[in-house]
Amino acid sequence: MLLVKKNISNLLKILLIIGFGYFFWLMLKITLEYIPLKREVSFLMIKQTEVGQRQEYLYFFYTHVYTSIFVLLSGFLAILRKDFGLKNFHKNAGKVYILLILFLAAPSGIYMGIFANGGIYSKISFVILGCLWWFSTFKAYQLARQKKFKEHKQWMWRSFALTVSAITLRMWKVIIVYLFHPNPMDVYQIIAWMGWIPNIILIEYIITKKYI
Amino acid sequence: MKILKLTLISLFTIGLVSCKKEAKTTDSSKDSLTAKKDSVVVPEIYKEYYGIYMGDFAGKGMIISEDGEEYEGEIYKKIALKINRITKDSVYGQSIVDGNQRPFRGVFNEEIKSFVLDEPGNDKTDGRFEVKLNNDSLTGNWSAFKKSAVKAPSKTLKLIKKEFVYNPNFMLDENSELIDWENPKDFVEKYTDEETGKTETYTASKNRIASDAVFKLNASKQKLTEKDLKNLRKLDMEIIKNSVFARHGYAFKKQTYRNFFEQTDWYIPVSNNVDNDLSPMEKENVALLNRFIKYAEDKYDSFGR
Repeated sequence: MLLVKKNISNLLKILLIIGFGYFFWLMLKITLEYIPLKREVSFLMIKQTEVGQRQEYLYFFYTHVYTSIFVLLSGFLAILRKDFGLKNFHKNAGKVYILLILFLAAPSGIYMGIFANGGIYSKISFVILGCLWWFSTFKAYQLARQKKFKEHKQWMWRSFALTVSAITLRMWKVIIVYLFHPNPMDVYQIIAWMGWIPNIILIEYIITKKYI
Repeated sequence: MKILKLTLISLFTIGLVSCKKEAKTTDSSKDSLTAKKDSVVVPEIYKEYYGIYMGDFAGKGMIISEDGEEYEGEIYKKIALKINRITKDSVYGQSIVDGNQRPFRGVFNEEIKSFVLDEPGNDKTDGRFEVKLNNDSLTGNWSAFKKSAVKAPSKTLKLIKKEFVYNPNFMLDENSELIDWENPKDFVEKYTDEETGKTETYTASKNRIASDAVFKLNASKQKLTEKDLKNLRKLDMEIIKNSVFARHGYAFKKQTYRNFFEQTDWYIPVSNNVDNDLSPMEKENVALLNRFIKYAEDKYDSFGR
């Protein structure tokens, strides 16, 4: 019985890794749309009001775009909790993840949240998301310093669940548009919340069930 | 030496650019329906008959139905004839059907007030008009030069004289049908038979429908903002954009837009290129709309934002 359970959890792990790999590839393709750096491309095509009126917008935007892809990668590598034969690999990947979020990705994300598409409802969502993202990452960092590794692990999963909202938000978008064909900003208001709330609920459930 | 080289290159580029501009202007004047002036002055007569005549263009022809069957039916189209010049022995003008603008030349019989007008003959849809003038109406028929090349080789015309005026206030009529019949999308749907429990899939096609934003946003009168457009679907923005071109009398090549604007009483197609007629604000709005239409096309249903 125990063996069966172990096999299932291994299979689940492999599926999650393959799934992440696929969506990471999609995210990488989105990031590459912004290379070379342009003022008017992709998402920025409908953000020219902000680009024109706020000199700092592009700096924050590109900080977010260029760091977030590395956040996804380093977060994923760290959460595997393996060193792959390299000394301190988990620790270093985690450091990259934490530093990128605390100093670059989360602050720029919060800034962009203030000017998010879809009106006040999506703005509120993205700002809360950004703050929680920063806080959970900071907490995980502190707990690692204090060598409280069990809690460190739990907070890291919270942080990573919010990181993965970049992927889940876009998945929900595809699903909702396919099913209901709503107007673009109506979708946006929904996915602004659906991108991260189910993720965090799932993680809290797993934590209370003591799986992590 | 380097500076000299650079100067030469930039001068050369400027030269090229200006050449290109010139070429474009001559091109557009050829396109538009304004009368070309001959160098030799020929006295023009009957100037009062000059103008645009618009109306129905109908004839019997073979129609292919949705299930692929062919049957004979009445094919209705809109046509615009423009009489540009009448001299003692010649008549000059253009015809526009389905956004296809063709020049014609012919003769005017003063006694019975009738025209015989021939299109050039190098397009498979070219033919001869024989029409009679009666006050403001122009009626008669048309026959194709190559009968086998067209669906309906002979057609009747019932036209009425119209005055083309640009008016930024012109909008689609609020009672207009807003369905785009030309771009159906196929969806696979499932159907489960309750008795047998068998599931069958079938494809249903759905047509796009515009929202009433097309009655509210006028890109010829107000400077549009990103905020105005963010929540609109692609079709809405395409109509708002093309309303600008319709007001300037652009002859649409796409059936979709003809269907929308032919429902109004103000739309008169007079030109294949109205780019130079747009006001600076209209140009800005069109650029903005193009950006949003592109974004909607690339991003609306894809993995991304």
